Amino acid sequence: MSQFDIQFTFNGETISAISGQSVGAALLAAKQRTLRKTRFNQKGRGVFCGIGVCFDCLVVIDGASNQRACITEVISGMKVQTQVGTNA
Amino acid sequence: MKNPDAIVIGAGVVGACCALSLTNAGLKVLIIDRGPVASGTTGAGEGNILVSDKGPGAELTLAIRSRDLWFDINTDIGGGFELEAKGGVVVSRSAKGISDLKKLSALQKENGVEVIELDGAGLRKIEPYLSESVEYGVLYPGDAQCQPMLAAAQIIRAVKKRGGSFIQGENVIAINSNAGSLIGITTDKNNYSCPIVINATGTWAGEIAKLAGSHLPIMPRRGFILVTAPAPKIVHHKVYDADYVANVASSDADLQSSAVVEGTASGTILIGASRERVGFKADLDISILRQLARQAISLFPVLSSIGLLRAYRGFRPYAPDHLPVIGEDANISGLWHAAGHEGAGIGLSPATGELITAQITNQSTFIDPTPFSPKRFQGSEYVAV
Amino acid sequence: MHNVVIVGGGPAGLSAALTAAVAGAPVLLLDSNPRLGGQYWRTPADNFGDQNENHFDLATGLKLINSVKAQSNIQVLSGAQIWSASHKDGVSTLRVIYQGSEKIINTGNLILATGAYDRSLPFPGWDIPGVMTPGGVQSLIKGHGVVAGKRVVVAGSGPFLLPVAAGLVKSGADVVELLEANKSWRWASSILVLLENLSKIKILENLSKIKEGFYYIEAISKGKVRARFGQAVVGAYAGENGELESVDIAKIDRNFKIKKVRNIKCDVAAIGWGFTADTSLAGALGCKQVVAKDESVVVLIDSKQQTSITGVFAAGEITGIGGSELSMIEGEIAGKSAAKFVGCAVDISRSDLIIRAKKQRFAAALIKAYPIKSGWRSWLDEQTVLCRCEEVDLADLKDSIVELGATDSRTAKLLTRCGMGLCQGRICGRFVVDLVADQLNISPTDIDRIAAVSRPIITPIPLGVLAAGE
Repeated sequence: MSQFDIQFTFNGETISAISGQSVGAALLAAKQRTLRKTRFNQKGRGVFCGIGVCFDCLVVIDGASNQRACITEVISGMKVQTQVGTNA
Repeated sequence: MKNPDAIVIGAGVVGACCALSLTNAGLKVLIIDRGPVASGTTGAGEGNILVSDKGPGAELTLAIRSRDLWFDINTDIGGGFELEAKGGVVVSRSAKGISDLKKLSALQKENGVEVIELDGAGLRKIEPYLSESVEYGVLYPGDAQCQPMLAAAQIIRAVKKRGGSFIQGENVIAINSNAGSLIGITTDKNNYSCPIVINATGTWAGEIAKLAGSHLPIMPRRGFILVTAPAPKIVHHKVYDADYVANVASSDADLQSSAVVEGTASGTILIGASRERVGFKADLDISILRQLARQAISLFPVLSSIGLLRAYRGFRPYAPDHLPVIGEDANISGLWHAAGHEGAGIGLSPATGELITAQITNQSTFIDPTPFSPKRFQGSEYVAV
Repeated sequence: MHNVVIVGGGPAGLSAALTAAVAGAPVLLLDSNPRLGGQYWRTPADNFGDQNENHFDLATGLKLINSVKAQSNIQVLSGAQIWSASHKDGVSTLRVIYQGSEKIINTGNLILATGAYDRSLPFPGWDIPGVMTPGGVQSLIKGHGVVAGKRVVVAGSGPFLLPVAAGLVKSGADVVELLEANKSWRWASSILVLLENLSKIKILENLSKIKEGFYYIEAISKGKVRARFGQAVVGAYAGENGELESVDIAKIDRNFKIKKVRNIKCDVAAIGWGFTADTSLAGALGCKQVVAKDESVVVLIDSKQQTSITGVFAAGEITGIGGSELSMIEGEIAGKSAAKFVGCAVDISRSDLIIRAKKQRFAAALIKAYPIKSGWRSWLDEQTVLCRCEEVDLADLKDSIVELGATDSRTAKLLTRCGMGLCQGRICGRFVVDLVADQLNISPTDIDRIAAVSRPIITPIPLGVLAAGE
């Protein structure tokens, strides 16, 4: 089994991941399931389709909005934040 | 509906406003369209309600009046179409552009338009992401925006609630008259007798006019709009380059494009504006999309990382003298035209409706309607492109 | 220089690439994922080690992937996303986002193998974090070594639910329910069709499907999972943290209408109803699309796998949902056709055609075995989200029709924003057509269905990349 060898932050909290994992997978492994709040009704959303088709798993990564967590590979030191509407 | 008092052909924003105006004046109105609501140019519109892009003249007077009427309509029918008094900011970066803009805004001010000149610092106070390369602009608090499809749909809904009706899926194939007086129309499904018909078919108004033996040289002027993914709030007003005004006024068939950028209530950013006369060519011209993107980024560099989600195109109804056609047909009394608003259809439709209704019901008009009269095309020869 | 461009690195694309290259045509293979294999042979990064435990036949996939990599006249571009495409005068132009900038690829010879994704149906609470698709759950396991949760309900319809449940069990999750909406005799009927297609010559090949079935059944019974038939998840509820806490499971009748409901606790619900083909690229190019028996929109092809555009071929799920084995044989045939198109001396063999016919029959039988009945519409309430991206609910959609006069899906979409969000209707488009038609008391037309999958801009492109391109 692979070892956790990468660290990134989610809303300031340090999360460990295995290189090659997606941000979405690493967050799910760390029990972080709510990734964003929707624009109009502030409903929580997380990974739904898991393959980059549904655009529900949006997070802010290093300041950039609308990043799909399920297909973005974790990079050491990444700053990931919950996307609230269209911003962090 | 049997025996309507008036038939409006066209369920776009102009047709809807004409129908509302007539309905509020007590007429029983039937709207007919060959397709669903807003299936023509209205469905491809950006939602511009501008007083900023017109020099002094009949069209500006119409625009100022119409802009105020939009807010009246909003109150009258209970909203539901994202009307926003967001204000417009017109910028220029060339010496000539700045000088022309100064002259234009001064004239507009004389004619009742509120204008506020701003330097670079002043501009970036109200538009923090505006490029540092912009050092002069004019704020027009009067500019507004709405969602055009919802506007047409909500207005038609109100018309129906007030006794009017809307039939879709019927094509008008004949306009029937007797001794120069309108008696009705025939569609591919029905015959309607009616003394008043309004041709509000926009880019296709010439075809309808032909059925009555009249000549309306209205041609399609294609435009594209880029729609971004829902984005953080980057643009606070409608912001556009002063070149836009010249583009609108140009009679060149070749591509004219200038930057127009604004946010929407739903969070997307709309980017225009291109104009070309290519008939009804429906393909997506990628090179034009690129140019629009370049122009927008030039004004708002942070847009570079924002994603383009979709693009759509529409065909503005363009009349060669750049004025809409609002008035009674040259040959058949009872037949009225309300079309040819080019890129200002949404902005100008309430005043169009008011102007048409006043003339039909023999009330005084707020503006001399002569410049808009379809009779101006009598005997002329415009070649359609 | 390449002679054949292939889009899609799953079973169909890989088979097409290898076949064309071996026949003598240099290939450029574009794939949007970081590693070849598509959804079916999804693998994690190399550092994760051996993955055979997680797949039934990964060995076949790895063999094919390694052959493609080893083939000197195949160039692979991974992480390549096509955002726009057009076809004119015999040349297809693909506009690709690759490593942050745009690449334009022009080709006279193209094979489309863009695959499919899980088909979703809405129900109250389906937008709660924790409700996912079976493909999503499986992708997390196969691609990232992550199990989405502890107590999992797998539901929906179709044979795909089996491998997903098996994968979850093997990964240590507790699959508390495995629900197939259709009746159990349908499983039997599909085995009957399979047996009917057994040929004396290719007996081992056909046995693979039976072996596969037993593989999953064994895995599931080891996990003490009971499969229930004629049941479905019809509601989901969130706990205080706003995440999935329980689901309503209903016994449903043969039209999928609810008979009786029970509630059980779970933290993940993996729900899928077959697949939707992703024909966006084919549509953008102008290939003719048709509506298949399962109401999905697919690309029309002839016996050579050629689309309505000469020189543009298609293989795999986009020609009709049919599984990996059909995808592979279609890929091989498309590869041969494309190679022949550029002058290579290769022909489609009789056995190619026989194998494809066999796999098509099996695929057709499966579609017949797992119909999606219209009763799902009765599971919705007014607040059920339809368009997840733009948060449009059933009440909004009805309003656009009843109050604002929309009489077709396109107008309803423009008035409500349904289908206009980031996913551009990939999730909701298909079922919104049904709901709009329902509301109007008409049958959805093919035109409506095909219009719902039209996406001239296939994936979002950063404005800066668009601006910098030629």
